Amino acid sequence: MKLEWIELEGFRQYFSRQRLTFSKDADRRVTVIHGVNGAGKTSLFLALNWCLYGRIVDNITIIDNVGELVSKEAVARTPIGGKVQASVTVCFLHDGERYRIRRRVEVMKESAEIIVPTGYEIATMMRVQSDGQAIEVRNLIGMMNSILPANVRQYFLFDGEKIDNFAKPEAAAQVKQAIDLVLKLELLNRARYHLNLAATEYRKELKQKSSGELRKLIEQEEQARKVREDTQARIRELTDEIQSARLKIKDIDQKLDALPNAQALQKDRQRIERDLKQRGDEREKAVQYIRDLATTSHFILAQSAFAKALGVLDTKRERGEIPSSIRRQFVQDLLDEMKCICGRDIEAGSLEYQRLQQLMQKSISSKLENEVLDTTAALRVVVERVQPTLLDLRETMDQRVKLSEIIRDLEGEQSDVERQLKGSPLEEISRLEKNREEYRDDIERMTLEIGTCEGEVKSLNARIKNLEIEREKAEKAEARERLLSKKMEIAQRAADAIENAYQAHADDMRQRIEVKTKEIFKSLVWKESHFRDIQLGPDFNLEVIDRYGFRARPELSAGERQVLSLSFITAMSRVSGEEAPLVMDTPFGRLSSQPRDNITRYLPELTDQLILFVTDEELRGQSLENLKPRIGAEYRLEFNPDTSCTTIEEVK
Amino acid sequence: MSDSSISRDAVYIDKSVHEIYKQLTEGNDPVSVPFRTMKDVFLMAASLGYQKGVRQPLTGKRELIFRWAQFSPQTDLPLLKALAISTTSNIEVLVSPEEIVSIAQEYANAGIHELRLQILEETGQPLLNIVQLLGMNYR
Repeated sequence: MKLEWIELEGFRQYFSRQRLTFSKDADRRVTVIHGVNGAGKTSLFLALNWCLYGRIVDNITIIDNVGELVSKEAVARTPIGGKVQASVTVCFLHDGERYRIRRRVEVMKESAEIIVPTGYEIATMMRVQSDGQAIEVRNLIGMMNSILPANVRQYFLFDGEKIDNFAKPEAAAQVKQAIDLVLKLELLNRARYHLNLAATEYRKELKQKSSGELRKLIEQEEQARKVREDTQARIRELTDEIQSARLKIKDIDQKLDALPNAQALQKDRQRIERDLKQRGDEREKAVQYIRDLATTSHFILAQSAFAKALGVLDTKRERGEIPSSIRRQFVQDLLDEMKCICGRDIEAGSLEYQRLQQLMQKSISSKLENEVLDTTAALRVVVERVQPTLLDLRETMDQRVKLSEIIRDLEGEQSDVERQLKGSPLEEISRLEKNREEYRDDIERMTLEIGTCEGEVKSLNARIKNLEIEREKAEKAEARERLLSKKMEIAQRAADAIENAYQAHADDMRQRIEVKTKEIFKSLVWKESHFRDIQLGPDFNLEVIDRYGFRARPELSAGERQVLSLSFITAMSRVSGEEAPLVMDTPFGRLSSQPRDNITRYLPELTDQLILFVTDEELRGQSLENLKPRIGAEYRLEFNPDTSCTTIEEVK
Repeated sequence: MSDSSISRDAVYIDKSVHEIYKQLTEGNDPVSVPFRTMKDVFLMAASLGYQKGVRQPLTGKRELIFRWAQFSPQTDLPLLKALAISTTSNIEVLVSPEEIVSIAQEYANAGIHELRLQILEETGQPLLNIVQLLGMNYR
């Protein structure tokens, strides 16, 4: 940024329009504005700040407690009830572009002593294109922040009265802040802060959501699967044992078949078993048939519904409404012949005639008619099925009862055979039969256990299926948790990485500023041999070390502190590479001639554009001579005590 | 299943009675678990509801148990239509499948409790209890 000119009108003591052009020349880069105390140096400095940034921007106060901005002379000349404006225009160059900002404020004169703001305060920023056309820049604050941020401004446009602040013992925080702002380390600081905040939020959310539900469900599912496997293994084991027992029974039967005294009973038993198998199958078949018949014979329960529905449908048919084609033909025939079926003539226009005409027009839809006809037929078929179904069911039920009786008798015979074999006087037959009975009991017991196991497997299947569904839900929830965890990790890592980068960068910057401050300080200070070193430690305290190696800052004079601060500020601007002018309001007020001579000799080398607001007292003699070769523009603020107004006069 | 997603060709029951449907259909033994399908339970429940003169609109959460296409045209659809015509005394109901199903659902919704009492709660084997319900005593 390089300032070109400033124009003021109706601004404090600058009643009439005043313009001041700053020097931009590389060799003569200094602009000096002379003015006695009260002539308007501070007002001009204020006008520059106000025009560029307004009163307050991004919570940073630019001008505060400075009284009215409008010219008192302008107010005095305005009638009561009239409005008065103050305006400042600043033109500057930045990155090869020319910008112009104009800011205006308005007040109303309520009485001779009272003025009130009208609320009108407006600023417009224009960018002048290469073809000379000016276009408005909509976002003034944003643009100014990209050129010279409001919070950095104070290190380039500063009040010489306050310049020694950085050299005060309690200024470490200010020094650090200044470095952060000017070197744009603040951006890293903010990024680190926001990422840490995000990581904390993610962590909190993760803590709330993470329940370990999935792990519990997986454990439950694994357990259920294990139990199912064990049960299935038990079924296989029992099946094998049953098979083995059956082979044993077969073996016993072969042995019994070979014993003459058991042969007849064995044959009886084989016949009984064959019969039992056959009758059992027949009964099973009957039961299945009964099941299919009974569970689908709901219409038997709803017979009254069928009867009533058929009644409704039949009524329609009896009335001749269905099929409508028959009725329509019949009525049409009557109308064609104009004769009733009883032989009477039908008079055109008579009541009978009108009724027949109405019947011709009134008809049901063909879709409904088809439905009615189909339904009537279907209902009748079902009704006709009631009795045969009941008969069929009854016969099958009777058959089942009969088969049960046969089976019961056969079982009685079977028991009798077994008893005879078991009670045989021949020990071998008796023993074999007892063994056979044990194996049969085992088969029965094991078959029952298989049934129980199968039931368990079935309920385990249902449980596993439910657990699978719940697990899938929990997996989805955990996937969200994992994502959250990843986000948290990334945010935290980024924050940590930025923290490290910040530390490294800040340290590097601090050291570079330290070196530069030392270099500048040594060129500006007049007791070079007395001060040996400048330190800007990790604690950001700006220290001066004297020739004895002691920290000399507490002993520095006000002027020396000012030089130290100036060195630090200019060092920062050099290190930052920020293209901005140094605008200094009464910079040398506290300095004695020696440091002033030094500063005026070296200061122009430290910046591309130097603008000094000075009193004649602070810039004279050798100091003025030092600056002269570098002065490109020089002005004097002429204050007229009669009008209390200032004009800007160029010093030729 | 929420009411907002009701399908026009689907048959619903109250979620609260779904368990009864399961008890009557889930098992391998035809004597203790007689019904092969939920559709058969539904039709038996609707017939019993009509017989007892009880209808109960579905008010709670619904469960879709099968689709309209599962009804057989020989016996199932005539039953539904008979219930609808006899209840409304209006043949126009025949061209409104939604109303036909709705009426059957309401009878089944009330009849299912009666069916449970008579088949599962009565002494005797459930299959024989159905036979008894149809008018024969073999218990």
